[in-house]
Formats: sequence, structure tokens, C-alpha cells
Amino acid sequence: SVQAHKEEENPRKTMEVNGFMPVPDSYDYDLIVIGGGSGGLAAAKEAAKYEKKVMVLDFVMPTPQGSSWGLGGTCVNVGCIPKKLMHQAALLGQALQDSRKFGWQFTEEVKHDWMTMTESVQNYIGSLNWGYRVALRDKKVTYENAYGEFVGPHTIKATYKKGVEKLYTAETFIIATGERPRYLGIPGDKEYCISSDDLFSLPYCPGRTLVVGASYVALECAGFLAGLGLDVTVMVRSILLRGFDQDMANRIGEYMKEHGVNFIRDFVPIKVERVEEGTPGILKVTAKSTTGDQIIEVEYNTVLLAIGRDPCTRKIGLDKVGVNINERTGKIPVNDEEQTNVPYIYAVGDILQDKLELTPVAIQAGRLLVQRLYAGTTTKCDYVNVPTTVFTPLEYGACGYSEETSVEKFGEENIEVYHSHFWPLEWTVPSRDNNKCYAKIICNTQDNERVIGFHVLGPNAGEVTQGFAAAIKCGLTKKQLDSTVGIHPVCAEV
Amino acid sequence: MGWEERQVRGYPEFVRTAQGYHGRPIFALFCGDKDAEGRSWCPDCVTAEPIVRKELHNLPDESVFIYCLVGDRAYWKDPNNEFRRNLKLTGVPTLLKYGTPQKLVEEECFKSELVRMLFTED
Repeated sequence: SVQAHKEEENPRKTMEVNGFMPVPDSYDYDLIVIGGGSGGLAAAKEAAKYEKKVMVLDFVMPTPQGSSWGLGGTCVNVGCIPKKLMHQAALLGQALQDSRKFGWQFTEEVKHDWMTMTESVQNYIGSLNWGYRVALRDKKVTYENAYGEFVGPHTIKATYKKGVEKLYTAETFIIATGERPRYLGIPGDKEYCISSDDLFSLPYCPGRTLVVGASYVALECAGFLAGLGLDVTVMVRSILLRGFDQDMANRIGEYMKEHGVNFIRDFVPIKVERVEEGTPGILKVTAKSTTGDQIIEVEYNTVLLAIGRDPCTRKIGLDKVGVNINERTGKIPVNDEEQTNVPYIYAVGDILQDKLELTPVAIQAGRLLVQRLYAGTTTKCDYVNVPTTVFTPLEYGACGYSEETSVEKFGEENIEVYHSHFWPLEWTVPSRDNNKCYAKIICNTQDNERVIGFHVLGPNAGEVTQGFAAAIKCGLTKKQLDSTVGIHPVCAEV
Repeated sequence: MGWEERQVRGYPEFVRTAQGYHGRPIFALFCGDKDAEGRSWCPDCVTAEPIVRKELHNLPDESVFIYCLVGDRAYWKDPNNEFRRNLKLTGVPTLLKYGTPQKLVEEECFKSELVRMLFTED
């Protein structure tokens, strides 16, 4: 059978003959990037610098609740950016409480308005979406708001909102499609629950909320919702922050518990039902214990699922071009040059197997990849000693190995842990906790006491950690750390 | 119905005019005042205006284009003037789609591709 495509829409002569797509002899573009998030946009903008003809395809499949967003990917729209802003909103609430002890006088009771905060946040996000579009247009990168999928060698099909389809070809492809929140697969999950994809643009206050999960997404969201004055419960299947240093994870959990977040440990939801309509309405959650037969039923206004994220790699036609994916996780294995098993197809960002799911990593990988492709460099992305921060109410910054991984890799007898509690000066006057902030470094005694792990729990953890990450990259040793004079009075001097 | 243009001067007149068109897409170009010979004190505005005007035929139907003179140079330099405070303008010329975060500032207004994108795309 032969299918001809409309010549007016697609001047390229591409015909599917007997079910096979031929390899094109010339390409529409030098580079097509599928996904306009942190990794994809960084790669596209970099390629434009080398005068390459580039296209970016970005398309957001609406959530079960109908939420959608503009160009920029997860970080900008439903991740890091709105998360940090709402975390800040919660911190400001705490600061208002502290301010009385510092002499500020106000008689009114301080309340929080969800809509005011959300509108401001969404407005800022809108300006970022617009900024990306201006940047792409200015650099002559073609941006198409369409769903891209491979249909044959060097060929993708772009499907636009109204159903229009177009084919495009390119010499090189970068897949940067990112991830979306996972659902539980229980009755009522898609109909009644929300995810982080919905939370930051929710057009009503979520009210009494159940957060399901113990990932950093779950704890960060639970943390700021509680900080805004909402009644929040976290339902945890087993441990907190899997993959993170467990001592630090438990300290974070303890702090949250002492500051008004309820925890239901060792339970998983098995059913969600609606008891009352409304925005938000009332939901009934039935949950089963993981350690016994106990069943509980609890009611909440909102149920937020934060149990993990799955890569968007299953419906983009990878089978049509032979790109291997990990069938179980959906992640794409790549070599140290971000190349898939198909030489002209690369991948960056959260979809990569065994790589960190962080915006700056995706950006760095995307940029360096393009420089290797078009500027003749050989620098590869360094995935070692990447610093991160979890923005829970008590922030946690880390760089390098956790204590558990250090022991596993180097042996308990070869590592030395130095640690200390500290009391931020700003917390003294308002009588806030004096034994919660904590810092530790893990050193390799076989290598000159080189610092292989840095962990800090306290205010502005992200700001504190950044500088230490640079020092660790330079091979910081305990002796060098000791000989560095501290800045006083700051938390980082510890 | 096509599009229409309104010319206003100063913040209160701008707000009154914009509110009168509530419900329709509103685009606005903010420029420095013009002297008796019709030249603005703002050289970038002199450059931008003809470029923007050349793209006006791309405006969507039913939309309004408000050409707004903000005031003299001294007024504009005041960091507390109403345009800076209330509309968050940071420079002239500014071309924006009212009620959205979409805007082009200063040299961005010289690029007809960007002006066209502002007028025609969501």
C-alpha cells in the first residue's frame, strides 16, 4: 500500500511504500530535539550558536485533572521553580512568626491566601515560558508545539493540537522527553487524586491534604503545605528519601513531625472515593498496612500522589528506529557521550538510565553534547560529585556519597565521619530548635582524608552546599577544610 | 471586525482606555513623549515605532492597539513613576500584550520576527 502525504503541507516527498519508510537522502534539519525542557532547550540553544538548523518539539499531555503548561519543561512549570517559590512562601510565614521576638509588632492574625500565591507564581512561570519562546525565535530555532514520535529512520511525525500531522527529518536527534508522575493503579487514583503536575496551578486551596509517597517531591510538598498552615499527612510505604543518606532522611522526617506534619508509616492506599463534591471536596482514602492486615479509612480534601516519576519513552516510536530502552523502567541506556544504541540518536535529562535527575545535569549534558557534535570538543559531562538540595522545611544539602554508600565502597575502617550540630544565630532569639541543624563530612582515610561526602541540614542549605561542591571537585581534604578560616556568624562556618 | 488603534498619553488615560476594552486582546506600545516636530526623546522608541507599525496588519481580529506616550524624560527616569510601579515596565520602548506576561523590551522591539510572534501566537 502507498500513502502519499499532502504536498502543500509537506513539500518533502516522503512516501510510505509497503509499510517501510525509506532513509531520506537530505534532511530538513541538522538537529531535532524532542522535548523542550531543561536539557532539550539547552541543547537547542547551543546548537543554534554553531549556525545549525534546529527544531524543538514540545508538547504537554494534559494531566487526568486537565492541567497543562507552556514551554520550559518540568523544572520551570511544575518542578523546581514553583516548588522553591512555595517553599519560600512557607518560610516567610515562619519568619513572620519569628519577627515578633525581634520587635516587630502587628496585631492582626497572619493568614495565607492560596490564590494570591498561586497567581503570582504562575505569572512568573508565564514570563519564563515567554522568555524561552523569545530566545528560541531570536536564535532562529524552530519551535513547534507538537507531539513528536519516530516513524522511520531519521524521520519523526509531529502531531499538533488539532490533529494535524507533519513529518520532519534530521541528521541528528536528541531525545529529552523527561518524566511524568506515576499513579498508584488503584480505584479512584486518576479520577480524584492530584500530582505535582496539578498542585502548583491548583485553582483552589487544597485544604486538608494527604501526600502519598516519601520521595523528595512528597516531603517538599508536604513541608510547604504545612508551612502555609494546612493540615498535612504523609503516607509512607517504607523508608523516607530512598537513595539519600538515611541518617539525614530520618532527621528531616523527625523535624517535619515535630513541626506539624503527620506521618502514617507502613501503609499504602488501596482505594480513593469521593465523599463530597466541591473545590476541594472530600475524599475517603482506604489504606492497608504493609506489615499486617490492618485497614484504615481516612478523609481528606485533597490527595497528592508523589510516589515516583516515569520516563516518557514508551510512546515516541523508539521501536521504529531501534532505540533500546530498559523495558522495566522505561529509561534509556546511553554511553558516556549520551549516545543511544542508534548512532545518530542521543538522549539527555531525566530519561537517562543510571544518571541523576537534576536540571543542571541535563543542561550541562545537553550543552556539552552539542559542543562535541558541532564544535569539535571532547569534554564529557561529569556526573560525579554533583551537589543537590532537598527543600524540606529544614533544608538538606549534599554532595558526594551518603554514609551508607561510603561504607559500601571504601569499607567502614577506611572512612572517618566528622559531624556537628549547630544552632543558627537567627534561631536563638525566637527560641527555635537548638539541636536540629546538623552537618557532617565523610572522609576517605586511605586518600589523605579526602572529603567524599558532604551533608548539611539547616537554613539555606543549597547556598551553603554550592561552594563546598566546588571545593570537593578540586579534591578537598579534611586538613584543607580545617585550615580554612570560617566566616562568622554564619551556619557555614561549622 | 479587524483591529483598531487608540492613542493615549499618561498612565491614567492608559488605564481608562485599557479597561474600556476589557474582554478583547489588548496590545500596547509605550514610548517617550514626542516634541513639536514629532520626535521622541527616546532614540530606541524612534527606531522601534516604524518596525512595530509594519507588523500591525498581523494583529488578530477584535484586538486593540494602544499607542501610549509615557511622559517626558524626567518623568520616565523617576523610579517611582506609575508605569514602573503598576505595570512593572523597566524600559521604553516596551511592547506588550496586556494582562499577560508577554512583552518585548527595548532592542527586542527592533526585531520584526519577535513583534510578529507577540501579535500572532498564543
